[in-house]
Amino acid sequence: MSDRLSSLRETIEKILPDVDGVIALRTGPGGIVAPYLFSKEHPGELAELALWPKEPVPDTLKIILRAHPDAKLAIVCRGCEERGIVEMFKHAQFSLENVTLIGLQCDQQEVESCQCFKPFTVHAKLTVGQPVEGVRDPLMAKVMAMSQPEKLAFWKEEFSHCIKCYGCRNICPQCFCNICALEDEKWVETGRLPMPNPSMYHMVRAMHMTAKCVGCHECEETCPADIPMAVQFRLIARDVKEMFNYEPGAVMDQKPPQLLVLEEGEYENTGLPH
Amino acid sequence: MSPTKRPKERIGVYVCHCGSNIAGVVDVAEVSAWAGKELEQDGVVVARDYKFMCSSLGQELIERDIKEKGLTRVVVAACSPHLHEPTFRAACARAGVNPYLFEMTNIREQDSWVTTDKIEATKKAKALIAAAVGRVAYQKPLESLYVPIDPNVLVVGGGVTGIQAALEIANSGQHVYLVEREPSIGGHMAQFDKTFPTLDCSACILTPKMFDAGNHKNITLLTWSEVEKVEGYIGNFTVTIRKRARYIDESLCTGCGVCWEKCPKKVVDPVFEAGLGYRKAVYVPFPQAVPKYPVIDRENCTYYLKGTCKACEKFCPTGAIKFDQQDEILTVKVGNIILATGYDLFDARKIPNYGYGRLPNVFTSLEFERMTNAAGPTLGKVVLRDGVTQPKSVAIIHCVGSRDKNYNNYCSGICCMQSLKFAHLVKEKTGGEVYQFYIDMRTPGKTYDEFYQRIIQEGANMIRGKVAEITDTARHPSEEGKLIVQVEDTLVGKQRRIPVDMVVLSAGLEARADAKEVAQKFGISCSADDWFIERHPKLDPVATMTDGVFVAGACQGPKDIPASVAQGAAAAARVLSIIGQGEIEIEAATAIVDEATCVGCKECIASCPYQAIQYLEDKGKAYVQEALCKGCGTCVGTCLPKSISLKHFTDEQIVAEMIGAMQTMKSFETVEAA
Amino acid sequence: MYEPKIIGFLCNWCSYRGADTAGMARMKYPPNVKIIRVPCSGRISPELVLRTFREGADGVMVLGCHIGDCHYSTGNHRTAKRMPVLKKLLEYSGIESERLYINWVSAAEGEKFATVIKDFTEQISALPPFVETMK
Repeated sequence: MSDRLSSLRETIEKILPDVDGVIALRTGPGGIVAPYLFSKEHPGELAELALWPKEPVPDTLKIILRAHPDAKLAIVCRGCEERGIVEMFKHAQFSLENVTLIGLQCDQQEVESCQCFKPFTVHAKLTVGQPVEGVRDPLMAKVMAMSQPEKLAFWKEEFSHCIKCYGCRNICPQCFCNICALEDEKWVETGRLPMPNPSMYHMVRAMHMTAKCVGCHECEETCPADIPMAVQFRLIARDVKEMFNYEPGAVMDQKPPQLLVLEEGEYENTGLPH
Repeated sequence: MSPTKRPKERIGVYVCHCGSNIAGVVDVAEVSAWAGKELEQDGVVVARDYKFMCSSLGQELIERDIKEKGLTRVVVAACSPHLHEPTFRAACARAGVNPYLFEMTNIREQDSWVTTDKIEATKKAKALIAAAVGRVAYQKPLESLYVPIDPNVLVVGGGVTGIQAALEIANSGQHVYLVEREPSIGGHMAQFDKTFPTLDCSACILTPKMFDAGNHKNITLLTWSEVEKVEGYIGNFTVTIRKRARYIDESLCTGCGVCWEKCPKKVVDPVFEAGLGYRKAVYVPFPQAVPKYPVIDRENCTYYLKGTCKACEKFCPTGAIKFDQQDEILTVKVGNIILATGYDLFDARKIPNYGYGRLPNVFTSLEFERMTNAAGPTLGKVVLRDGVTQPKSVAIIHCVGSRDKNYNNYCSGICCMQSLKFAHLVKEKTGGEVYQFYIDMRTPGKTYDEFYQRIIQEGANMIRGKVAEITDTARHPSEEGKLIVQVEDTLVGKQRRIPVDMVVLSAGLEARADAKEVAQKFGISCSADDWFIERHPKLDPVATMTDGVFVAGACQGPKDIPASVAQGAAAAARVLSIIGQGEIEIEAATAIVDEATCVGCKECIASCPYQAIQYLEDKGKAYVQEALCKGCGTCVGTCLPKSISLKHFTDEQIVAEMIGAMQTMKSFETVEAA
Repeated sequence: MYEPKIIGFLCNWCSYRGADTAGMARMKYPPNVKIIRVPCSGRISPELVLRTFREGADGVMVLGCHIGDCHYSTGNHRTAKRMPVLKKLLEYSGIESERLYINWVSAAEGEKFATVIKDFTEQISALPPFVETMK
């Protein structure tokens, strides 16, 4: 880890004079790691550069760019964070014209910890660390192996722990709406805990994550009840890839498929009647 | 949605008996009593049933209640809203209730006519009415939007249909841009010699029309041109047209013909002469071409190929040859568009057993048309491929590529009559034997069947049977050197082999190869066979589902000349009636963006089938151009924060409708359980 | 045996007219499906379908114009891409995905409409009431 840390520091030092700031993690007072804007005015702060734990930096980028649209920035991002940035860019949340991506490739230990399917960047010109293979979340196979009543029971049990803190939504870099359908009584029952089955909250959220979830696991990390909700997002992501050949964050100018007309041969993949 | 949030409205419910159509199955009195009692909490203040709601007395009933009982919303349970929604909307409007505060529910087509059990039908009617009552309280008054109509018109395709449409409009005093892909207008009709069933000369009747179109003060003729892009909506289209370089300065050219006389390069003409004749590398497709200016065929011109020649430039008396001319891009504004892009001939090569392209003396119908044309490659003589030998016997095969599951299922409509015309011309020009091979004879036009009888009188041999094969492999000495038509004569019930000198394939009509692309460009749809789809096959045959875009002639489906001309004139009339209105009402139920909550993610923009949603760069928000929005609501189905909504089909309205139906169904369950 | 409660979201131009066509031909089918008319099947958001299940529907139908014949050109293309994903989510959540039914019925296809309603009603009748399974 120290190797990556020092080479990341070197990379940042090299780019720092040419930009207004570099978004990366810093170990702050009390040993708390958080996103931080390093600048050439305070090069010494780079001594406190950190790699881990992962934080939702795409959001940090958005906040800074919203306040300073013309700022020239660099951002250290992992594979999932890069995908998140690309999806936010596609959804016109910011421009990447003045943004340099510094790809930080996750190591084996981090991959194991996240069960990440694609722990490396693909767009960043500058990269630090050697890319390693991704892994499949074993929970996907576990859920798929369940019978229909078993699945129902599994989620009923999992969602019965949900206290509707909305933490999963708040942390998600792709949940950037000003108002949220999940707060609308039309779609999600209010004031009922445990939430009624089926969970409108989690189902509507899963639909909203279609072709959007980049697999960063922030939602699951933040959940106070340890609900593995992103398994559904990942299963759907697999289907969307198979049906419409779309992978969030993979291609800069590819629009989400559900917005577009059917391409040749796509209908056959949908399983709809002829 | 909680009942507390429900708007307080005064709702009237009217249940129609439709004579016995509804009342014979649904207990209408029970339904209206139920609505009055059970839906009172939802705002129903009056519920009535009446024999015929759509009658003037029925409508007056509603109008009186609106005034006397102060109704703010009206629900009618009757037939399909596709039938009488306009009727009741108008009644509401007369009594001062905005037409969009009316809701109709269908208890006839979707209940009494399809449900056997009377109790079940009555329950279904209640659920449907509860749904309508649920929704109507959330409905909002809407005002129609009007946009002015640009009186200019674009006509695409300069065949007889497009010419007719353009002339009708131009003669009325409106301006037309007539765009044609080929160097001259005239289309397929200009290629023909005679027209059925009157046998009048095609050129004689078409040329004056071409001339008029070419010289009309209200027609801008753009030949050798194609539409590249269409933006906008009815009344306000912006059309980008590519006027391809002719390499001729039209302001200098007099059409004298010296250039094509002097041009040393002879080229097979695959378009006008159907590959049967030649033209030069600089050419007009035929002598009566409109406009008179030639084009240089860049792909075959010696100068463009080798860098030398320029014979045309040397001899041109006015210096009109411009080898460095560039394509011009024109942008025109029009209010309406007529597509008259015509058809392609079925490629007979696709049927290998008929031997076209392999057996020299098998001809297509278009080749034969050119052959019989006095101005054509054989100067009107019917001869074999060698150019000299007159055939003693000719076989004419019907339905080539039509009514055949391997190629096109449909009947091309014109081939029977065209084949009869060919039979007459063969007889007239050669005196030889003619054999017609047909599946069924179809001659439904005015004086068409009389023509059929006449051709039989003239001695044509009519053989009913689908030809299996045309071969040059003789089985008998009498077949040597002949083409043999193998067919089962289904009237005699025998296989026959008929040796002939020449075979003419009456090829069917197909949609243009690029019809799909063109349809997409103009925002209209194609059928499975790629014909353009009209708005209604019977009652609106030249309009399309896209307002302001009309179709006429064979681009909509196979048609003969009279039908095409009629459609050209019909489309012109439709366009003129729109221009006459000066402005046009557009869809009131359009989408609208709530800027306060829009996050500017552009998902709605990508999902709109009409490019009706813009991105406001300065605000970072989406914006619906109402005049472009057709009200499909696809954007609403997409928007995650629900910032975009579709007027008259809002989430509140649809959810309330669904809840109304669901709660009623659930209440029946509870009653039954008790 | 119970009477399944079904909501059908039908596009105004093809499927709703197809239902009218079935009516005009006096074809008989079960009364369980209550039709809600929308301009285009593309108007139906996943939220509307989910909310209908939340309300206790045993089945939901979304019927639109055939692909290529959409009144709004390609509105139904979005239906064809959105609804299969929702079906998958139902499946992964342990809800029988056949409770959500998508098909295309043209204005002329009265007979198909009646058949589709009959078949879907039967199919849903074979499942336990939705609300029961959620308890």
